[in-house]
Amino acid sequence: MKLRLIDSGPASSGPINMGIDEAILGSVSSRRSPPTLRLYRWAPPCVTVGYFQSLEAEVDIEACRSFGVDAVRRLTGGGAVFHDAEITYSLVVPLGHELAPADILESYRRICAGLVRGLALLGIEASFEPINDVAAGGKKVSGNAQTRRQGCLLQHGTVLLDLDPERMFSLLRVPAEKLKGRLIEDVKARVTSMRALLGRELPYDEAADALRRGFAEAWGASYGIELENAALSEAEAGRASALAAERFASKEWNCRR
Amino acid sequence: MISRLDYKVPGGKLLRVEVEVESGVVLRALVRGDFFAHPEECFEAAEGELAGLPVDRLAEAALSLFSRPPLSIFGASAADIALALGRTAHETQAH
Repeated sequence: MKLRLIDSGPASSGPINMGIDEAILGSVSSRRSPPTLRLYRWAPPCVTVGYFQSLEAEVDIEACRSFGVDAVRRLTGGGAVFHDAEITYSLVVPLGHELAPADILESYRRICAGLVRGLALLGIEASFEPINDVAAGGKKVSGNAQTRRQGCLLQHGTVLLDLDPERMFSLLRVPAEKLKGRLIEDVKARVTSMRALLGRELPYDEAADALRRGFAEAWGASYGIELENAALSEAEAGRASALAAERFASKEWNCRR
Repeated sequence: MISRLDYKVPGGKLLRVEVEVESGVVLRALVRGDFFAHPEECFEAAEGELAGLPVDRLAEAALSLFSRPPLSIFGASAADIALALGRTAHETQAH
Protein backbone atom coordinates (compact mmCIF):
# COMPACT_ATOMS: atom_id res chain seq x y z
CA MET A 1 0.00 0.00 0.00
CA LYS A 2 1.51 3.31 -1.11
CA LEU A 3 1.25 6.65 0.63
CA ARG A 4 2.28 9.83 -1.16
CA LEU A 5 4.89 11.76 0.83
CA ILE A 6 5.15 15.50 0.29
CA ASP A 7 7.96 17.42 1.90
CA SER A 8 6.82 20.99 1.54
CA GLY A 9 10.37 22.32 1.79
CA PRO A 10 10.31 26.08 2.32
CA ALA A 11 8.02 27.31 5.08
CA SER A 12 4.57 28.71 4.26
CA SER A 13 2.11 31.04 5.96
CA GLY A 14 -0.65 29.78 8.24
CA PRO A 15 -3.47 30.33 5.72
CA ILE A 16 -1.47 28.55 2.99
CA ASN A 17 -0.58 25.61 5.24
CA MET A 18 -4.20 25.15 6.29
CA GLY A 19 -5.27 25.65 2.67
CA ILE A 20 -2.88 22.93 1.47
CA ASP A 21 -4.16 20.48 4.10
CA GLU A 22 -7.75 21.09 3.02
CA ALA A 23 -6.86 20.93 -0.69
CA ILE A 24 -5.26 17.52 -0.13
CA LEU A 25 -8.38 16.45 1.79
CA GLY A 26 -10.47 17.37 -1.25
CA SER A 27 -8.26 15.62 -3.80
CA VAL A 28 -7.91 12.43 -1.74
CA SER A 29 -11.67 12.47 -1.15
CA SER A 30 -12.37 12.66 -4.90
CA ARG A 31 -9.69 9.98 -5.56
CA ARG A 32 -7.67 12.38 -7.71
CA SER A 33 -4.75 11.95 -5.29
CA PRO A 34 -3.57 8.99 -3.26
CA PRO A 35 -3.52 8.99 0.57
CA THR A 36 -0.95 11.61 1.54
CA LEU A 37 1.50 12.45 4.32
CA ARG A 38 2.95 15.97 4.28
CA LEU A 39 5.76 17.50 6.34
CA TYR A 40 5.88 21.27 6.68
CA ARG A 41 6.82 24.37 8.65
CA TRP A 42 5.55 27.90 9.16
CA ALA A 43 6.76 31.39 8.13
CA PRO A 44 5.80 33.77 9.49
CA PRO A 45 5.09 32.06 12.82
CA CYS A 46 1.38 31.41 13.35
CA VAL A 47 -1.07 30.88 16.18
CA THR A 48 -3.81 28.42 15.28
CA VAL A 49 -6.91 27.81 17.35
CA GLY A 50 -9.17 24.76 17.37
CA TYR A 51 -12.38 24.58 15.34
CA PHE A 52 -14.56 25.08 18.44
CA GLN A 53 -12.54 27.92 19.93
CA SER A 54 -13.12 31.63 19.58
CA LEU A 55 -10.06 33.18 17.93
CA GLU A 56 -10.84 36.55 19.48
CA ALA A 57 -11.17 35.02 22.97
CA GLU A 58 -7.96 32.97 22.73
CA VAL A 59 -5.60 35.16 20.72
CA ASP A 60 -4.34 38.73 21.18
CA ILE A 61 -4.81 39.68 17.54
CA GLU A 62 -3.21 43.11 17.98
CA ALA A 63 -0.09 41.52 19.52
CA CYS A 64 0.08 39.02 16.65
CA ARG A 65 -0.14 41.89 14.15
CA SER A 66 2.62 43.85 15.85
CA PHE A 67 4.93 40.80 16.03
CA GLY A 68 4.12 39.76 12.44
CA VAL A 69 2.48 36.52 13.53
CA ASP A 70 -0.50 34.99 11.64
CA ALA A 71 -3.62 33.83 13.46
CA VAL A 72 -5.83 31.15 11.89
CA ARG A 73 -8.70 28.91 12.97
CA ARG A 74 -8.18 25.25 12.08
CA LEU A 75 -10.52 22.69 10.52
CA THR A 76 -9.65 20.45 13.48
CA GLY A 77 -10.62 20.69 17.13
CA GLY A 78 -8.24 21.03 20.05
CA GLY A 79 -6.54 24.05 21.57
CA ALA A 80 -4.48 27.08 20.63
CA VAL A 81 -1.00 26.32 19.27
CA PHE A 82 1.91 28.66 18.57
CA HIS A 83 3.69 27.33 15.48
CA ASP A 84 7.27 28.53 15.32
CA ALA A 85 10.20 26.25 16.16
CA GLU A 86 8.50 23.00 15.23
CA ILE A 87 7.95 20.42 12.53
CA THR A 88 4.37 19.79 11.46
CA TYR A 89 2.83 16.87 9.57
CA SER A 90 -0.55 16.29 8.04
CA LEU A 91 -2.06 12.99 6.99
CA VAL A 92 -5.07 12.47 4.74
CA VAL A 93 -6.42 8.95 4.18
CA PRO A 94 -9.88 7.64 3.26
CA LEU A 95 -12.02 6.36 6.17
CA GLY A 96 -11.56 2.61 6.52
CA HIS A 97 -7.83 2.86 5.63
CA GLU A 98 -5.56 1.06 8.12
CA LEU A 99 -4.71 4.45 9.65
CA ALA A 100 -8.37 5.53 9.82
CA PRO A 101 -10.33 2.84 11.69
CA ALA A 102 -13.80 3.75 12.97
CA ASP A 103 -12.45 4.08 16.53
CA ILE A 104 -11.07 7.62 16.65
CA LEU A 105 -8.72 7.09 19.61
CA GLU A 106 -7.32 3.99 17.91
CA SER A 107 -6.60 6.02 14.76
CA TYR A 108 -4.72 8.62 16.84
CA ARG A 109 -2.71 5.77 18.36
CA ARG A 110 -1.87 4.20 14.98
CA ILE A 111 -0.88 7.50 13.39
CA CYS A 112 1.11 8.69 16.41
CA ALA A 113 3.05 5.39 16.41
CA GLY A 114 5.01 6.94 13.51
CA LEU A 115 5.95 9.93 15.66
CA VAL A 116 6.94 7.66 18.55
CA ARG A 117 9.18 5.64 16.19
CA GLY A 118 10.67 8.82 14.70
CA LEU A 119 11.56 10.12 18.15
CA ALA A 120 13.07 6.71 19.02
CA LEU A 121 15.35 7.07 15.98
CA LEU A 122 16.61 10.29 17.55
CA GLY A 123 17.22 8.48 20.84
CA ILE A 124 14.09 9.74 22.61
CA GLU A 125 11.78 7.28 24.33
CA ALA A 126 8.27 8.61 23.80
CA SER A 127 4.74 7.27 24.10
CA PHE A 128 1.24 8.06 22.84
CA GLU A 129 -0.81 9.75 25.56
CA PRO A 130 -4.55 9.73 24.80
CA ILE A 131 -6.45 11.70 23.68
CA ASN A 132 -4.07 13.38 21.29
CA ASP A 133 -0.55 13.83 22.66
CA VAL A 134 2.87 12.21 22.42
CA ALA A 135 4.98 12.59 25.57
CA ALA A 136 8.60 12.00 26.50
CA GLY A 137 10.14 12.18 29.96
CA GLY A 138 6.65 12.76 31.39
CA LYS A 139 6.04 15.88 29.30
CA LYS A 140 4.13 16.58 26.09
CA VAL A 141 6.36 17.03 23.03
CA SER A 142 3.73 16.62 20.31
CA GLY A 143 0.08 17.63 19.96
CA ASN A 144 -2.21 16.20 17.29
CA ALA A 145 -5.68 17.02 15.99
CA GLN A 146 -8.02 15.08 13.73
CA THR A 147 -11.15 15.72 11.74
CA ARG A 148 -13.21 13.41 9.54
CA ARG A 149 -14.82 15.01 6.52
CA GLN A 150 -15.68 14.13 2.94
CA GLY A 151 -15.15 10.44 3.69
CA CYS A 152 -11.56 11.06 4.77
CA LEU A 153 -9.50 11.50 7.90
CA LEU A 154 -7.31 14.60 8.15
CA GLN A 155 -4.90 14.66 11.06
CA HIS A 156 -2.23 17.23 11.61
CA GLY A 157 0.21 17.51 14.45
CA THR A 158 3.44 19.05 15.59
CA VAL A 159 6.69 18.05 17.23
CA LEU A 160 8.20 20.91 19.18
CA LEU A 161 11.80 21.61 18.27
CA ASP A 162 12.07 24.38 20.85
CA LEU A 163 9.75 25.96 23.39
CA ASP A 164 9.29 29.64 24.24
CA PRO A 165 6.26 29.94 26.55
CA GLU A 166 6.97 33.60 27.32
CA ARG A 167 6.65 34.44 23.61
CA MET A 168 3.61 32.19 23.26
CA PHE A 169 1.77 33.93 26.09
CA SER A 170 2.62 37.33 24.65
CA LEU A 171 0.32 36.29 21.76
CA LEU A 172 -2.46 34.56 23.68
CA ARG A 173 -5.16 36.14 25.78
CA VAL A 174 -4.93 35.23 29.44
CA PRO A 175 -7.78 35.62 31.93
CA ALA A 176 -5.75 38.09 33.99
CA GLU A 177 -2.28 39.55 33.45
CA LYS A 178 -1.22 38.49 36.95
CA LEU A 179 -1.93 34.84 36.01
CA LYS A 180 0.52 34.93 33.12
CA GLY A 181 3.52 33.92 35.22
CA ARG A 182 1.72 30.90 36.58
CA LEU A 183 0.52 29.85 33.11
CA ILE A 184 4.08 30.08 31.79
CA GLU A 185 5.37 27.93 34.69
CA ASP A 186 2.54 25.46 34.06
CA VAL A 187 3.54 25.08 30.39
CA LYS A 188 7.19 24.61 31.39
CA ALA A 189 6.12 21.86 33.80
CA ARG A 190 3.89 20.05 31.27
CA VAL A 191 5.53 20.61 27.87
CA THR A 192 9.01 19.89 26.54
CA SER A 193 10.88 20.23 23.24
CA MET A 194 13.43 18.29 21.24
CA ARG A 195 16.08 20.83 22.26
CA ALA A 196 15.40 20.10 25.95
CA LEU A 197 15.23 16.33 25.41
CA LEU A 198 18.39 16.11 23.27
CA GLY A 199 20.37 18.87 24.96
CA ARG A 200 21.10 20.40 21.54
CA GLU A 201 19.36 22.19 18.73
CA LEU A 202 17.60 19.81 16.33
CA PRO A 203 17.60 21.31 12.82
CA TYR A 204 14.34 21.01 10.84
CA ASP A 205 15.92 18.81 8.15
CA GLU A 206 17.21 16.30 10.68
CA ALA A 207 13.81 16.21 12.39
CA ALA A 208 12.06 15.77 9.01
CA ASP A 209 14.37 12.90 8.11
CA ALA A 210 13.70 11.15 11.44
CA LEU A 211 9.92 11.57 11.13
CA ARG A 212 9.92 10.32 7.53
CA ARG A 213 11.81 7.21 8.63
CA GLY A 214 9.68 6.86 11.77
CA PHE A 215 6.39 6.92 9.84
CA ALA A 216 7.81 4.57 7.17
CA GLU A 217 9.08 2.04 9.72
CA ALA A 218 6.07 2.07 12.06
CA TRP A 219 3.41 2.02 9.35
CA GLY A 220 5.47 -0.30 7.11
CA ALA A 221 5.85 -2.92 9.84
CA SER A 222 2.23 -2.78 11.02
CA TYR A 223 0.28 -2.15 7.80
CA GLY A 224 2.65 -2.70 4.87
CA ILE A 225 2.54 1.02 3.99
CA GLU A 226 5.29 2.39 1.73
CA LEU A 227 6.02 6.12 1.43
CA GLU A 228 6.62 7.46 -2.06
CA ASN A 229 8.03 10.95 -2.60
CA ALA A 230 5.86 13.23 -4.70
CA ALA A 231 4.84 16.84 -5.02
CA LEU A 232 1.56 18.66 -4.59
CA SER A 233 -0.36 18.61 -7.90
CA GLU A 234 -0.93 21.90 -9.72
CA ALA A 235 -4.65 21.59 -9.06
CA GLU A 236 -4.00 21.13 -5.33
CA ALA A 237 -1.65 24.10 -5.21
CA GLY A 238 -4.24 26.28 -6.95
CA ARG A 239 -7.02 25.10 -4.67
CA ALA A 240 -4.78 25.69 -1.61
CA SER A 241 -4.17 29.32 -2.64
CA ALA A 242 -7.89 29.86 -3.14
CA LEU A 243 -8.74 28.29 0.24
CA ALA A 244 -6.02 30.35 1.93
CA ALA A 245 -7.47 33.59 0.58
CA GLU A 246 -11.17 32.79 0.79
CA ARG A 247 -11.27 30.84 4.02
CA PHE A 248 -8.17 30.81 6.22
CA ALA A 249 -7.28 34.49 5.79
CA SER A 250 -10.90 35.58 6.15
CA LYS A 251 -12.45 37.09 9.24
CA GLU A 252 -15.65 35.25 8.42
CA TRP A 253 -13.97 31.87 8.98
CA ASN A 254 -11.43 32.79 11.62
CA CYS A 255 -13.87 34.66 13.85
CA ARG A 256 -16.94 32.53 13.19
CA ARG A 257 -17.12 31.18 16.76
CA MET B 1 -28.85 39.01 29.42
CA ILE B 2 -25.62 37.27 28.45
CA SER B 3 -23.74 35.04 30.87
CA ARG B 4 -20.38 33.35 30.37
CA LEU B 5 -18.64 30.55 32.23
CA ASP B 6 -15.34 28.69 31.87
CA TYR B 7 -15.62 25.12 33.07
CA LYS B 8 -12.56 22.87 33.18
CA VAL B 9 -13.72 19.29 32.76
CA PRO B 10 -11.98 17.17 35.40
CA GLY B 11 -9.28 15.26 33.49
CA GLY B 12 -10.52 16.81 30.26
CA LYS B 13 -10.63 20.00 28.24
CA LEU B 14 -11.82 23.55 28.94
CA LEU B 15 -15.42 24.45 28.06
CA ARG B 16 -16.07 28.17 27.52
CA VAL B 17 -19.81 28.58 27.53
CA GLU B 18 -21.95 31.58 26.66
CA VAL B 19 -25.73 31.76 27.07
CA GLU B 20 -27.98 34.62 26.07
CA VAL B 21 -31.44 34.66 27.62
CA GLU B 22 -34.40 36.98 27.24
CA SER B 23 -37.71 36.62 29.09
CA GLY B 24 -36.85 33.09 30.18
CA VAL B 25 -36.03 31.92 26.63
CA VAL B 26 -32.58 30.96 25.33
CA LEU B 27 -31.70 33.22 22.41
CA ARG B 28 -28.27 31.65 21.86
CA ALA B 29 -26.08 29.08 23.56
CA LEU B 30 -22.46 28.71 22.48
CA VAL B 31 -20.12 25.95 23.62
CA ARG B 32 -16.55 26.84 22.75
CA GLY B 33 -13.35 25.19 23.87
CA ASP B 34 -10.37 22.98 23.08
CA PHE B 35 -12.37 19.74 22.88
CA PHE B 36 -12.92 17.56 19.80
CA ALA B 37 -16.32 16.66 18.38
CA HIS B 38 -17.03 14.42 15.38
CA PRO B 39 -18.69 15.23 13.08
CA GLU B 40 -18.21 18.92 13.87
CA GLU B 41 -21.41 19.89 12.06
CA CYS B 42 -23.47 17.62 14.35
CA PHE B 43 -22.10 19.47 17.36
CA GLU B 44 -23.03 22.81 15.82
CA ALA B 45 -26.48 21.51 14.88
CA ALA B 46 -27.07 20.42 18.50
CA GLU B 47 -25.86 23.81 19.68
CA GLY B 48 -28.25 25.53 17.26
CA GLU B 49 -31.22 23.56 18.57
CA LEU B 50 -30.74 25.03 22.05
CA ALA B 51 -31.98 28.41 20.83
CA GLY B 52 -35.65 28.96 21.55
CA LEU B 53 -35.80 26.60 24.54
CA PRO B 54 -37.15 27.72 27.92
CA VAL B 55 -34.04 28.43 29.99
CA ASP B 56 -35.01 25.98 32.71
CA ARG B 57 -34.97 23.16 30.15
CA LEU B 58 -31.54 24.05 28.71
CA ALA B 59 -29.41 21.56 30.68
CA GLU B 60 -31.82 18.66 30.18
CA ALA B 61 -32.11 19.37 26.44
CA ALA B 62 -28.32 19.74 26.08
CA LEU B 63 -27.75 16.36 27.71
CA SER B 64 -30.03 14.75 25.17
CA LEU B 65 -28.88 16.74 22.10
CA PHE B 66 -25.14 16.30 22.71
CA SER B 67 -25.62 12.55 23.33
CA ARG B 68 -27.32 12.05 19.96
CA PRO B 69 -25.51 9.69 17.56
CA PRO B 70 -23.43 9.94 15.47
CA LEU B 71 -21.94 12.79 17.53
CA SER B 72 -18.94 11.79 19.64
CA ILE B 73 -17.11 14.25 21.83
CA PHE B 74 -13.57 13.88 23.22
CA GLY B 75 -12.29 15.82 26.22
CA ALA B 76 -15.79 16.53 27.54
CA SER B 77 -19.06 14.60 27.79
CA ALA B 78 -22.63 15.62 27.04
CA ALA B 79 -23.12 15.64 30.83
CA ASP B 80 -20.19 18.09 31.24
CA ILE B 81 -21.65 20.37 28.58
CA ALA B 82 -25.12 20.16 30.15
CA LEU B 83 -23.64 21.01 33.56
CA ALA B 84 -21.74 24.02 32.21
CA LEU B 85 -24.76 25.29 30.27
CA GLY B 86 -27.06 24.73 33.24
CA ARG B 87 -24.79 26.72 35.55
CA THR B 88 -24.46 29.52 33.01
CA ALA B 89 -28.22 29.61 32.48
CA HIS B 90 -28.68 29.76 36.25
CA GLU B 91 -26.42 32.83 36.31
CA THR B 92 -28.68 34.60 33.81
CA GLN B 93 -31.65 33.91 36.11
CA ALA B 94 -29.90 35.08 39.26
CA HIS B 95 -29.85 38.68 38.01
